[in-house]
Amino acid sequence: MLKTSATDVIPEKKVEAKQKSKFKLTANDKYYASIFAGPSLFLLGLFVFYPMFRTLYISLFLTNTFGNTTLFVGLENYVKLISSPDFVSSMWVTLVYVVGVTFFTIAMGLLLANLASQKLPGIAIFRTLYSVTMGVSVSVAAIFWLFIFNPSAGFFTLLTKMLNLPTINWLANPTNAMWAIIITTVWMHLGFVFLVFLGAIESVPTTLYEAADVEGVSKHYQFFHITLPMISPTLFFISTITIIGSFKSFGLIDLITKGGPTNATNMLVYRIYNDAFFGGNYAKSSAEAIILTVIIAFFTYLQFKFLEKKVNY
Amino acid sequence: MSKYKKLIVSVGVILGVVLITFFGKNVFAQSKPQDNRTQIVFWHEMGGPAEKTLLKLVNDFNKSQSKYQVIPKYQGSYDTAIQKIFQTHGTNTSPAVFQSSNISTAQVLHSGYTTPIQKFVDQDHYDLSKISPVARAFHAQGGKQQAMPFNTSQPVLYYNASLLEKYGITPPSVSPSYSEITKIAKELYEKSNHKVKGMTVQIYGWLLEEAIANSGGMFANENDGHTGIPTKVSIDTPESVEFFKWIRENIKNGNFMDYGSGSMASTNQTSGFLTNKVGMYIQSSASMSQLNKKNKNKLGITYFPHPDGKKANGVSIGGAALWVSNDKSEAIQKGAYEFIKYTVRPEVQAEWQKSTGYMALNRDSQKTSILQKFYAKHPEGKIPGQQLNSTVPNYDNSGILLEGMQTIRKLEEDAMEKIYRGGDIKQILKNNERAINDLVYSQNRANGLTKE
Repeated sequence: MLKTSATDVIPEKKVEAKQKSKFKLTANDKYYASIFAGPSLFLLGLFVFYPMFRTLYISLFLTNTFGNTTLFVGLENYVKLISSPDFVSSMWVTLVYVVGVTFFTIAMGLLLANLASQKLPGIAIFRTLYSVTMGVSVSVAAIFWLFIFNPSAGFFTLLTKMLNLPTINWLANPTNAMWAIIITTVWMHLGFVFLVFLGAIESVPTTLYEAADVEGVSKHYQFFHITLPMISPTLFFISTITIIGSFKSFGLIDLITKGGPTNATNMLVYRIYNDAFFGGNYAKSSAEAIILTVIIAFFTYLQFKFLEKKVNY
Repeated sequence: MSKYKKLIVSVGVILGVVLITFFGKNVFAQSKPQDNRTQIVFWHEMGGPAEKTLLKLVNDFNKSQSKYQVIPKYQGSYDTAIQKIFQTHGTNTSPAVFQSSNISTAQVLHSGYTTPIQKFVDQDHYDLSKISPVARAFHAQGGKQQAMPFNTSQPVLYYNASLLEKYGITPPSVSPSYSEITKIAKELYEKSNHKVKGMTVQIYGWLLEEAIANSGGMFANENDGHTGIPTKVSIDTPESVEFFKWIRENIKNGNFMDYGSGSMASTNQTSGFLTNKVGMYIQSSASMSQLNKKNKNKLGITYFPHPDGKKANGVSIGGAALWVSNDKSEAIQKGAYEFIKYTVRPEVQAEWQKSTGYMALNRDSQKTSILQKFYAKHPEGKIPGQQLNSTVPNYDNSGILLEGMQTIRKLEEDAMEKIYRGGDIKQILKNNERAINDLVYSQNRANGLTKE
């Protein structure tokens, strides 16, 4: 679908570009440009660029109880953060979480999408079931999972008791709490990822599989050598948004663990929020926000640089 | 034609939205009957059953006189509310009177955003001596009352009296020592065939601060901030080591239930207590109404445990106080004071204690029929008030006046959690003390309170 439309459009554009080789903005063009782009530029400036530069500015100062800048300290906030074991552990925790969430979301999403793409009677029921988490809001999911993880009456506790296994205190132990958060986030993301993957898998031309079947190639081989390369643009897209999305994860952490136990799930974004709106330390949290921005930009750059080359469009 | 139709409809919708946002407020406001009363905006952070009681209190105040009308507005948790109060000060959305958690006391004091309650008390010749001295001490500076304590709690030890009776265990004394509690916890765990854990202490910084206060230890220098700006916090002290040794001993005995520190820890702890999974726990006296309502067992209450071989020094209060904002006109501020005065009336405080578990601060409340009837039904309900009244205020038990207590408490909780999971008590306390002091130093510097 995407391919055909792309081939239709591109030649036209080329022709246009050739005709207007001496491209120059007339007064009229400028007028229209400012009318069309002006409002969105204004809004972007007000709500994105101004806060961005303001954050950068605040991060170079100390702020008092009311969030006003008082003392210029240059890069001191950054130096302090990077040398604080607390913040470094937060970065590691975030990294573990992002890698965990991205890996499991993509693996599970691919698995489910592959299963649901089989032509079997009643498969539509499963397609609906697998994508149903898209309609669940974060707060509802958090409450739902809190019931499951409850150490006295939770579903997992009842299950392990029934099977006479030792009970796991999901939210009190640092490692378990990290797993609990990863499981919950993967579950939340899965519906959307599944749906996108399913669409991509469905759009792979069936002739490829037919040819493979004629050659007697195993299904397993078909998946890795036909399906995966054919859906690689989708894979790239999903991995990018999952990585960025999980870096920015907030709601589930706030509602399930509040960053605990012993800061084991205190991700960067949650730390930024806590330092500003709970601790009132706006300078520190601004510096943290800038560091997070740099990290996300770096990852996105890496992805475009290395992953995109391997993508078949 | 249809093109224009679309355009007209969309322009109409946009215009409508704009008009409503700009003028709607006036239109709707006018439809209400005009009220000549002075409006007093009151920000509070009471949720759940306490909010219901508070709204009734406000309503009763509004009916009791014709000059003022208090408009209560719920602001979420204490910690985010204080940020909102600071950020809106001086604008017309700011409150005239607000409830602020005790741990924010230093911040509010230093902000200079409030009018000391003492000013109105002096003008009115109101007799403050009827209000609990320990509660007043937290919000007083230089002998002047800055705010009025409102919802005041004490940390107490709750025990399941029915369970202790069932297993033939002597209940703890009114003011138990650490070892006494350990002994009962162990007995309960063993006699119940390991079905009931003996005790739990939530990973909650407030409880550590109270343990230090009750052992007669000092948390911050400058007499916990009562005589100057604190520059140093001590948690690596014999008092805290003893407290943690007590907890560790119980963890080692296997009779301690650890509920962790997540958002559900407190809820899980309460439900564990109510479902006979744990026999004793320390919590705010404000939990009492909830425990009374849902409890099938007999509830027992004692004072906060104290170290062996020492007399309890008494604990400081928890909860929040009411402050008068100084960015409003004289008349509104006067109204705010009238409302505050109403909240500490004997019968109002009695009703407040009965339905929330916070303590009645007015000495005369104890004589009211409301509390007399309540005590007849729940004799243990007297204990928190007794603990409060038997405490002689000194600097150790009058609360901590230190900015940034929210973040400091988080660091305390980190230390508690690490200690609960094993690890060297002294080393952990030393590290976290250093982290807390770094924070204290940098916030003093940011607020211009230290010399460079």
